[in-house]
Amino acid sequence: MQIDNPLNASPLAFPILECIHIVGFAVSIGTIAIVDFRLLGIGMRRETPSQILHDTSLWTLGGLVVMLFSGLLLFSSDPDNYYLNYAFDLKMVFFLLAILFHYTVHRKVAQRDSPHGKAVACISLALWTLVVFGGIFIGFLNSTLDIHHI
Amino acid sequence: MLLSFAQWIQATDFFTYLRGSGYVYPCILSMHMVTLAVFGGMILMTDLRMLGWAMSSRPVADVVDQLRMTKRWGLALMATLGVLLACCKAEEYYFNIFFRLKLLLLALIIVHALVFRRTVYAQAAEMDRAGRVPGNAKLAAALSLLLWVGVACMGRGIGYIDPPFGIHAQLWPL
Repeated sequence: MQIDNPLNASPLAFPILECIHIVGFAVSIGTIAIVDFRLLGIGMRRETPSQILHDTSLWTLGGLVVMLFSGLLLFSSDPDNYYLNYAFDLKMVFFLLAILFHYTVHRKVAQRDSPHGKAVACISLALWTLVVFGGIFIGFLNSTLDIHHI
Repeated sequence: MLLSFAQWIQATDFFTYLRGSGYVYPCILSMHMVTLAVFGGMILMTDLRMLGWAMSSRPVADVVDQLRMTKRWGLALMATLGVLLACCKAEEYYFNIFFRLKLLLLALIIVHALVFRRTVYAQAAEMDRAGRVPGNAKLAAALSLLLWVGVACMGRGIGYIDPPFGIHAQLWPL
């Protein structure tokens, strides 16, 4: 069944959504990184990790919501293509892991100033890095690398 | 002269290799985006703190002073990766309107730093003592927000050299 997506009517819609997506993930990943860097002993050391987490969590959530909704709209422009894109699948796996980790282990460790802080910070930064890599590779698998599964 | 430099640098063995490398080029681009997320996010949060919209239970100086070195190293890394990317396709980028606008905004960011560094960013502790953020500091933060979001959007625009816009190389013919 073919449904006309209004997003595909204007050539400007996709790039503008991408810019919103970028600002959304800069705010969410940036705020998470401030907490992670603190857990690693870098940056805002006059605060405890739990103080920073408390002060940034609303912005993290806001950034995630913006990123998620713009991402869904981007996906809706050509779902078949994304569905078949290996990098997109991996990105979604890493994204779910990153979100899950952020709202369980990461949150607990940051709130209680636990001794495992450094390991948790590294895992958090690594997961979000993999999500970004997945996003960039979506575009490259389609055009240059050409290794679709199927 | 600038154009012949662009043609020369992208024709060097190193950048010819990077351009055709398959995986290495997208990995550099990905790392450029990771640094944007991590350190660009920190820049936005610093500006939002100055405007009183974020982290307002922390002193301004705690946010501005303590994130300064982290942002500086991050910016150096982001810029290095950006230069590598630009040199890979220097000739194309020379004509790319979004690349030119991005450089213009980056130049404005340098001007912004020269204008506001001493009068605003070095005065964070003073603002905490006074208990209020002065108007020129809020202006500096708002301008910084606009400039950096603009840089990110222009960076995304660089990828649209071909359609949908199709304005590449047409606004500035040789």
